[in-house]
Amino acid sequence: MKNFLKSILFLIILAVLVEGISFLFIPGNNIKKYGLYKVSAYDILAEDTDTIDVIAVGDSLIYSSLSPMVIWNQLGYTVFDCAEPAQIIPDTLDYLKVAIESQHPKIILMEANVLFRDPSKKKTETIITKRIKNRIPIIKYHDNWKKYISYGSKKNWINYYKGYKFITKVKPSKPKKYMSGSKKSREIPKGNIEYFEQILELCKENNTKLVLVSFPTQLTWSSKKHNAIQQLSEKYELEFVDLNLVDLGINWETDTKDSGGHLNYLGAKKVSEYIGTYLQNTNLLQDHRDEKKYASWHKAYQMYLKKYQKTLNKN
Amino acid sequence: MNYFDLTYAFLFLPIVIIIYNIMPKKIRPAILLLASFLFFFMISKFLIIFLLLSIVSIYMGARKMGSLDKKKNELLEVASKEDKKEIKDAYRKKKKSILILVILFNITFLFVFKYLKFFTVNANFLLDCMKVGWRFQILKLIAPIGISFYTLQALSYVIDVYNEKIEADKNFLRVALFLSFFPQIMEGPIARYSETAKSLYERVRVNYHNLCFGYQRILYGFFKKFVIADRLNVVVGKVFENYTCYSGAAIACAIIAYTIMLYMEFSGTMDVVIGTGEIFNVKLPENFRQPFFAKNISEFWTRWHISLGAWFKDYIFYPVSLSKPMKKLTIKARKTLGNHFGPLISGAVALFAVWFLNGLWHGAGWTFLFYGLYQFTLILGGNLLEPFIKTVCIKLKINRQNLVYRILQSVKMTMFVFIGELFFRAPTLAVGFGMLKRLFTKFQLSAITNGELFSLGMDKKDVLIVFLALVFIFIISLLREKKINIRESISKKNVFIRWFIYYAFILAIIIFGAYGPGYIPVDPIYADF
Repeated sequence: MKNFLKSILFLIILAVLVEGISFLFIPGNNIKKYGLYKVSAYDILAEDTDTIDVIAVGDSLIYSSLSPMVIWNQLGYTVFDCAEPAQIIPDTLDYLKVAIESQHPKIILMEANVLFRDPSKKKTETIITKRIKNRIPIIKYHDNWKKYISYGSKKNWINYYKGYKFITKVKPSKPKKYMSGSKKSREIPKGNIEYFEQILELCKENNTKLVLVSFPTQLTWSSKKHNAIQQLSEKYELEFVDLNLVDLGINWETDTKDSGGHLNYLGAKKVSEYIGTYLQNTNLLQDHRDEKKYASWHKAYQMYLKKYQKTLNKN
Repeated sequence: MNYFDLTYAFLFLPIVIIIYNIMPKKIRPAILLLASFLFFFMISKFLIIFLLLSIVSIYMGARKMGSLDKKKNELLEVASKEDKKEIKDAYRKKKKSILILVILFNITFLFVFKYLKFFTVNANFLLDCMKVGWRFQILKLIAPIGISFYTLQALSYVIDVYNEKIEADKNFLRVALFLSFFPQIMEGPIARYSETAKSLYERVRVNYHNLCFGYQRILYGFFKKFVIADRLNVVVGKVFENYTCYSGAAIACAIIAYTIMLYMEFSGTMDVVIGTGEIFNVKLPENFRQPFFAKNISEFWTRWHISLGAWFKDYIFYPVSLSKPMKKLTIKARKTLGNHFGPLISGAVALFAVWFLNGLWHGAGWTFLFYGLYQFTLILGGNLLEPFIKTVCIKLKINRQNLVYRILQSVKMTMFVFIGELFFRAPTLAVGFGMLKRLFTKFQLSAITNGELFSLGMDKKDVLIVFLALVFIFIISLLREKKINIRESISKKNVFIRWFIYYAFILAIIIFGAYGPGYIPVDPIYADF
């Protein structure tokens, strides 16, 4: 019994230490307002309130294809990628709920592939691990010790790529006719439609335009998926942008990181330029480049540009 | 699930411990067996059937050999001196046929799952060269995880029963548990029946001491994996996948990084495995004993992946070198080549068999075969050159026990290990040789100043962390080499110091672990073998 109590005490102290030390590592800007739990999962909460025009939500196709810095430089719109690998739609809803608390985006770009991912098939351990990460902020933000060394203060800890992952790797593929033109539709899991309707409701409540987008991928997209999303968008009167049917000038020999599965920085630039023009045509957004409030975005763009040019020179 | 998933250490394992402890003593082994099957099912799904077939085959084979031994002994008791040899021979033949049958049964699975594709591809290549119009179909099969490990363990059991080193176990549950115990099923260590079967069946309740010590060892494994191995993985992947883009200095860094990563990942896994065993009071054999303190490659292999080396020594090296033809060869060779070089001939044949199979065991590919033969060449070369080096040292009055000489020996050995690991990791032999060539022809010290080395995926802060972590591991290794039990020493400290050390260690793993965005965790390397 004595040893049992000792073990419990050890674990309680450990929990207190972990929770306590988390405060040192989480981004500084929104903690008081939004609480530890929420901050732990979302980089977007480190952004200043009401500064994001567009939130892109979905799986790895988002953070590998859409570079907010390209759009910022092109048009002065603020876009943030809220994405994670193999995202399931219940998490898409969670992300949006939290993001919308601190931001009032005019447009939400939802990656359409998420709709086909069956949440029940996602590995149990992944879900458990994710819950642990969400519950214990330090697991998510542990790497910020590097920023402590660099900045000395946690005030300036922001995600400079705004959720985008700068991928330099090139693993070539060949041009393929993966959009076969089939008339058939891929089935969307029933439960996912319910979550989708909740997302739609959330957007309506916040007066936000929801746009379905599919980003270029030779491996996970098909005509059958396109048809299913086309029908869905018509049913709910939404816009659907299928970039797999648009000639973006993607060179599959140089612009992909994994033989056509995802784009690298070169492909992302082309996609982002197209999305920028699309956003411009909505006439819902305004250019912030001359606004003082957005000065940090210029700094972030310089960092992106430096990385881009360095990578380009190297290759 | 693998041993480094949080769900293993903090969900699966605690649940097994709790159920194991609350169950009556009698059924505790059954709980461990069920947990083992569940674990295997989670990682290999219905391929568990092949594990079950292996268990049944070795159990039945060993039982049959056991009953033959019993009959033989009964007959020997009443047989005349003249008949005894005849009886022994007859029963040895019967036992041998059973042994061969069981070995073939188990090896067939291993061959089909692991080597069939390799041999088919190469056979098709030969058919192409001979301009034969047809080809073998290449089957795409997924092997049960850990098949290379549990097959060797299964074979050791039946061979030991055949050699009468152990008795055939009548308890099916114990044999099943011996082969499928969940901590070791994926990556070993390849234990012998005499080492673990008894303790696996002792049914001792998990106590506070074992729980603490077990989890301490598990955390040490986590430290090696998350803080060091995962941090180096980005560099390794980047350079090995695209080596032509990098200078010789970057390639050298990647080779060193890979060797460290492999060591940290595999020995870290062993810490988790052995730590789990400790919790259940099962003493699993150690697989590493400070390998980089070895003075030559021969010794290195007695300290690195010890259980595999010991398996090859006992079941390949000795049977080959002590076989009748080899004995005859040694006698002849002694007369012509003398007492040092004479026995080396049969030893070389056995050593070749060991390293050929060792290479093949690691994977069906030319790089692994080359790796095995590279080790063979180094060990044989070392044996052949030993008298010469000894003479030179005596003439030059070099003390071979001198610390500087010992350090130089270890440095030389480490260089050889680096080159071996380069081929071990390279996707093809051509890439391996290409990297080696570039290492020497494109080596520029300017890589340090022009920032190339810090563009490989690790910034200066990462390098600092790896360096400090390796210093920590080095100190621990040094203490272990001096037979100092660190965990025992810490456990004797007062509770404040003890807990401070534990908390600092846990927080170091959480904070400095290389996980999350920007890092790529190392997949279990040895589970693929």
